[in-house]
Amino acid sequence: MKLGKTMDIDQAKEMVISTISDLLEGKVKVAEDMQLIGGESLLDSMKLVEVCVALEDLADENNFEFDWTSETAMSKSRSMFRTVAALASEFARQSET
Amino acid sequence: MIIVTGASRGLGKAITERLTKKGEKVIGLARSTDGLNIDNIECDVSNYSSVKSAARKVKKMKTPIKAFINVAGTASMNMAVTTDESTVQKLIQTNLAGTIYCCQLFAPIMLRQRYGSFINFSTIAVALALKGESVYAASKAGVEAFSRTFAKEMADFNVRVNCIAPGPIRTDLLRGITDTQIQKITSQQIIPKQFQKSDVCDLVELLIDEKASSLSGQVLNVGGV
Repeated sequence: MKLGKTMDIDQAKEMVISTISDLLEGKVKVAEDMQLIGGESLLDSMKLVEVCVALEDLADENNFEFDWTSETAMSKSRSMFRTVAALASEFARQSET
Repeated sequence: MIIVTGASRGLGKAITERLTKKGEKVIGLARSTDGLNIDNIECDVSNYSSVKSAARKVKKMKTPIKAFINVAGTASMNMAVTTDESTVQKLIQTNLAGTIYCCQLFAPIMLRQRYGSFINFSTIAVALALKGESVYAASKAGVEAFSRTFAKEMADFNVRVNCIAPGPIRTDLLRGITDTQIQKITSQQIIPKQFQKSDVCDLVELLIDEKASSLSGQVLNVGGV
């Protein structure tokens, strides 16, 4: 998906959900409140890294840099990996910078 | 391409020269890139932002990384009780944190390719528990522990991680160390002789080579322990 402009949160959610769904081979319906880290997560750490790499590629296509190694990404309390919605929110935010 | 940190001096320089001679494209990372006659990026490995900036530049090159060689390091030969706080911090920050920063920030490029090799540098002082090198050895023991675990994390992506642990090799790090002191150390190795930079370069070549595809999470002690 190529937007060529700053994306809004709904577009970011669509991208993130589609990316995760593809990596889970459509076996699971990905919801906004799905956890990405912790015991409830359906993604193992390897899959989570793959999600990040795929989002990095999407960011490249849309002319911005997606930094998933930042403090925001890693912080436990504010981590963008809390949920799908949190990741989409951070993805949209980084598209603005 | 192959990236070498600490490329401007000592072992890093020797490795860079060896690989370049072999026809490899080498990018040198160093705090001061003056006099480096290869493509280079100024980078202080002990500074997270500096490493991140270097990784960003390398990523933009869109050239596969065959190997990342973490040579940059600093040494201090002192008893723990005579090592001041700033030296402790410098050793940990450069040797341990620097290696971790480089691995974690360049790993995303490597795992995307699904191949490649990290080579980190430890010291034989870890295995031999050399008296007078406690803080230095501690920083390098951290590198070994990190490398073994990091190797497991990277294995799913077909990226290998290994350590080379040289004994006393004549570089700037050993200035002030006498031949007698060196002999005292080398006598504790299985092969009790002083090895050279070229021996370490041979091991680097081995670890980069596909023939070493079964090796990951290992520490190669030069001279044996």
